Amino acid sequence: MPLLILLIPSLLFLVAVFALPLFRYTWLSFHADSVMTGLVAIPNQGANWQRFIHDTRYLQDLFQTLRFSVVSVTAEIVLGLVIALILHQPMRKRALIRSSALIPWALPTTVMALGWRWIFNTPYGPIDRLTQSWLGQSLNALGEPSIAWITTVYADIWKTTPFVALILLAGLQTIPSDLYEAAKLEGAGSWICLRRITIPLLLPYLGLALMFRLAQAFGVFDLVQVMTGGGPASSTESIALYAYWNALRFLDFGYSATIMIGSFVILSSLILITWLVVTTARNRSQQSLAR
Amino acid sequence: MTLELENVGRNINKQWIVENICLTVADNECLALVGPSGCGKSTTLRLIAGLDPVSAGSIHIRGRDITSLSPSERSVGMVFQSYALLPHLTVFENLELGLRVRGVPKPERRFKIKGILDLVQLWNRADNRPAELSGGQRQRVALARALLRDPEVYLLDEPMSNLDAQLREDIRPELRRLVLEQRKPTIYVTHDQHEAMAMAQRIAVLHEGRIEQIDTPYNLYHNPESLFVARFIGRPQINCLKGDSGSIRAVRPESIRFSDEGLSGKLQSREWLGNSQLLFLETQQGVIRMMTSPDQGIPAQIRLTWRAEDEILFDADTGLRSRR
Amino acid sequence: MKATRFLILALLVWSLAPLTWQLYTSFCTDQALVTPFASLNQRWTLDHYQSVLNSNPPFIRYLLNSLFVGGLSTFLTLLLAIPSSYSLSKMGRRSSLVIKFFLIGCALFPYVLLFLALLEIARYLQLGNSLIALAVPYAALSQPLAILLLTNAFSDLPAELEDAARVEGLSVVQRFRWILLPLISPAIASTAILVFLFSWNEYPIALTWISDSGKLTLPVAMARIAGSSIHSVPYGPYAAATVIGSIPLILLVMVFQKPIVSGLTTGAVKG
Repeated sequence: MPLLILLIPSLLFLVAVFALPLFRYTWLSFHADSVMTGLVAIPNQGANWQRFIHDTRYLQDLFQTLRFSVVSVTAEIVLGLVIALILHQPMRKRALIRSSALIPWALPTTVMALGWRWIFNTPYGPIDRLTQSWLGQSLNALGEPSIAWITTVYADIWKTTPFVALILLAGLQTIPSDLYEAAKLEGAGSWICLRRITIPLLLPYLGLALMFRLAQAFGVFDLVQVMTGGGPASSTESIALYAYWNALRFLDFGYSATIMIGSFVILSSLILITWLVVTTARNRSQQSLAR
Repeated sequence: MTLELENVGRNINKQWIVENICLTVADNECLALVGPSGCGKSTTLRLIAGLDPVSAGSIHIRGRDITSLSPSERSVGMVFQSYALLPHLTVFENLELGLRVRGVPKPERRFKIKGILDLVQLWNRADNRPAELSGGQRQRVALARALLRDPEVYLLDEPMSNLDAQLREDIRPELRRLVLEQRKPTIYVTHDQHEAMAMAQRIAVLHEGRIEQIDTPYNLYHNPESLFVARFIGRPQINCLKGDSGSIRAVRPESIRFSDEGLSGKLQSREWLGNSQLLFLETQQGVIRMMTSPDQGIPAQIRLTWRAEDEILFDADTGLRSRR
Repeated sequence: MKATRFLILALLVWSLAPLTWQLYTSFCTDQALVTPFASLNQRWTLDHYQSVLNSNPPFIRYLLNSLFVGGLSTFLTLLLAIPSSYSLSKMGRRSSLVIKFFLIGCALFPYVLLFLALLEIARYLQLGNSLIALAVPYAALSQPLAILLLTNAFSDLPAELEDAARVEGLSVVQRFRWILLPLISPAIASTAILVFLFSWNEYPIALTWISDSGKLTLPVAMARIAGSSIHSVPYGPYAAATVIGSIPLILLVMVFQKPIVSGLTTGAVKG
């Protein structure tokens, strides 16, 4: 029993920071609490939820957030695997190379988000100058709605791929090398080794990276807020940013809480589905390995 | 009797890990606990040390009831399987830690540690860390820590299992000198029956949390009370043959003889053991192990026999010894 | 072998080129930035650094604020997480699994969504604009990761070390002092650095809690430079700020590469 006492402070903190807000949001989502009500919570019989269901801007932001998450996480996993395979090779100055590869992940998002604004600046940034001189036209990477979201995806990939790569590197280090030696004796090439040994044995790590990254990408905020402010034409606005605008720009706390609780439910179901898919894929690959 | 266990048991989640353990160990006696892994021998040791709570029964040292005392109040010296030396402290500091928390003043600590390290012949390694010592040296440091407490009872938990076979044989006399000469009750846990026989006056065989038999090494070998003990003690293993009316006839491999009549068999394989040879003979009753002298020839027609008094009878259902 | 070298080079370019460009920008005059190919009498300048360092409040202030919050929240996190992970590592399999699932759930939660409730708490308790108070939610948000990492470290310690100490009569506090803390110190170091990085980089909560310009943390101060308008960002001074703000972290990563990697990877292997 004294064991539990040691855990209580941490658990209390966690409940206060993670569970209480969810209860508070649920409660707030059934209240009007905005400038109109003088920032006092007044019950409004589910009007927030009515609005939420018919909110086309939220729907658009949800679409953008999912598009952002799926594209950037997929790219991060593929690129992270490549980087992990590179870093797994024996090499000189390994520590220095690993540190350099880690730097993008360690820097504050906001620091580089503004850096990207300069790099993708039209017409003075280096990328725009390149496209101007090579393609003869401006890319307008942050001003063109159909391109701007890809630019934010690129910035997100740059920052978080090192994290994915490290997790996969940890996975690579758990694969015993005699598996590869045995496969080489059987005449397997490096592609077969990757397909038949590396990827199946890496699946738990791929699943872990996938889940963590999907959850983080779904809550993307810093990068978008600083890099594009949600623009142009709300094309890069994420759910978290929309909730933030509602609370701190429109001062509508009731609706902001509704967005967050609604998004929480959507995210939880997405994570659950991903988890189910990952575990069944893992079981299937284990069965095929056993065969 | 100095150490007494009465019906001691440990229960986790309504499952008895060990049950009804009754033991008495006299001063100047070493009792070995043997059994297959998971039989509860280490748990029994931990109950005596006070590392796990006792669920039933009582433990006395010199008549003092210690059943619910904390480990440090029990005056036990324990040597752990992994030696449990702190890797970040030197040999000297490892030994000093216990004395320090017990409030022994510094000059006295140094005097005592010097004395003990001289005894185990490691004073010259006092400033080394455990990683810089050999396995045998580490074991002696662990032993020194137990000796330093000058406890009422010594508990040794597989103290040799991390040493290679040759070293074990070399260390046994040393261990006997250091521990048994303290003339304190000693419990020695091991899964190695040879070690148990070499170190202990009596051996307790544990099986599924219960004591099957406590006896001298000689009696355990020649008069096992149960089929389990008969099979567990003695290598190569005892031969078990089907007897009449639900009984099992057990015969030691060295009791088997070639003869003109009896069980017929065929040589399957043989192992040379230096001073003897071990024959595996296929018979109607299954494979029979036979231990014989290395110059024994193999007859063309193999027939096996043994003296009636070398045969031990067990009840097939209960596994207990049945007397004629 | 050659292919590997080429790939490593590509990796380094990919990781470091954007930073190098910021470094280059920070030394260019505004003129040079707008017309890079024209011949100028003055191409290089330290003006941007001067304007950043001499602004009001000076840039170094934000670094100190972030350092303070990072240090304090790391300390708080460890203070809470070390006893918790010890007790979790001693618990039965089933109850510890339940708690671990809860912790993983918390770690997966995108904490951005918490900012509104945390803001309400801060307003209610009058904690806005307090750097000390800011360390509290950071410590709470860092609990899941810290507890999971440290629990692994405690579980990896041989149980016999503590048993031997109990036989010798060491109390819980003495066991922590002499055995547990020294032996898990590598895991403590990894955890501390990861928590420090999180606090140093955290943006949304700091953005909503702190408005006093003398108390901004580095990420918020950086974002504020651009806050006024989307189109007229002073890129030169900003690049200089990026460089100054990145140097401590780059040093941190260079020096503590090992504990960072081991922290992230044990989290992955055992998590």
